[in-house]
Amino acid sequence: MTDQTLDQLKLTEEEKNKLKELVLARLTVMPHDISISIGDKNLDKKALTEHVESEDEIGNQMMEMELEFLQDLASGAIYGHE
Amino acid sequence: MNKSLLVTRPNYDSATHYLYRWTEPVIAEAKRKHIPVYDLKEDKATKKTFLSYVQSKHPGFLFLNGHGDAFSVGGHDDEVILDKKIDTGALLDCIMYARSCDSGKVLGNTLVGRGVLAFIGYTRKFIVGTTRSKITKPLEDQLAKLFLEPSNLIATTILKGHSAGEADRRSKQAMLKKFGKMISSIGSFEERFAARWLWSDIRSQVVIGDHNASIHS
Repeated sequence: MTDQTLDQLKLTEEEKNKLKELVLARLTVMPHDISISIGDKNLDKKALTEHVESEDEIGNQMMEMELEFLQDLASGAIYGHE
Repeated sequence: MNKSLLVTRPNYDSATHYLYRWTEPVIAEAKRKHIPVYDLKEDKATKKTFLSYVQSKHPGFLFLNGHGDAFSVGGHDDEVILDKKIDTGALLDCIMYARSCDSGKVLGNTLVGRGVLAFIGYTRKFIVGTTRSKITKPLEDQLAKLFLEPSNLIATTILKGHSAGEADRRSKQAMLKKFGKMISSIGSFEERFAARWLWSDIRSQVVIGDHNASIHS
C-alpha cells in the first residue's frame, strides 16, 4: 500500500469534481461532536468543508483519503486486514 | 547503541497538547524499564536544547512529537528543531520516530542517508480523530485513543528492544484491529466516520532505513 497525491492519481477535471462532490456530501453527515487534528489545525465539520471547497492542501488530502478508502473498500483490501 | 530515550513534546496548541499528553504513557514505560529519559517538554523543546542533549547524551531512540513538514520537525512554538542542516554526526546509530506530519516524505530519507539507522514517520499529514468535548482532556478521548495508542506502540516496542520494523508491524497490526472494530457493527457512528482517517495513518506510516535496527544494535 502506498498513498498517492491527487496529482499522482491523474484524475480528469470531471473526475476530480465528482470526487469533491462526494467528499462534500460525505462531510454533511460528519458527526458534530468529532473533529480532526491534522497538521497544526483541529477542524470541525464546517472548517473541514471549507478546506475541501477551496481545494487547498488539507482539502486535497481529504479527497485523496476518501478515494483511497473507497478503492480499498471496493478491492477488499480493507477487509483483508480484519 | 546508547539505550536511552530522548522525547520532544511541545505543548502550545490543541494538536501538540494531544501529543504531549499521549506521550506520557511512553515515558512511564521507559521509566518502568529503567531506561534513561531526556524529556524535552513544552518550552524545553527548542533547537538549542535538542542539539545539546543529542550531542552530549547520544540517545539511542529519539521520539519527536510536534508539527512538521516534509523537511523539518518543529518544537516549542513551531521552532524548527530538526532539519537536514543538523550535524548528523550527533545522530549516528540511533532510531528515530517522528510523530509529525509528512516526516517520512523527505526528512527521513535525508537523515537515514546521513547515519540514522532507522526512521519511522508518515508520508502525509498525521491525523488524529478527536472528540470536541474532550479537547482539554486528551487522555480521556476514546476516539483519539484509537489513533494514538497504536502510534505509542511504535515507541514502546522499540523500548522493549524490538526492531524498528517490528515496531511498525505491531503498530499497524494494532491500528488494523481498531480499524476493523470501527467499521464493524459494534463501532459507533463517530468511529465509523473517523475510520477513513485511521486508514490514512495506516497507509502513510513508513520505516526508512534498517528495519532490523534496535536499541540493542
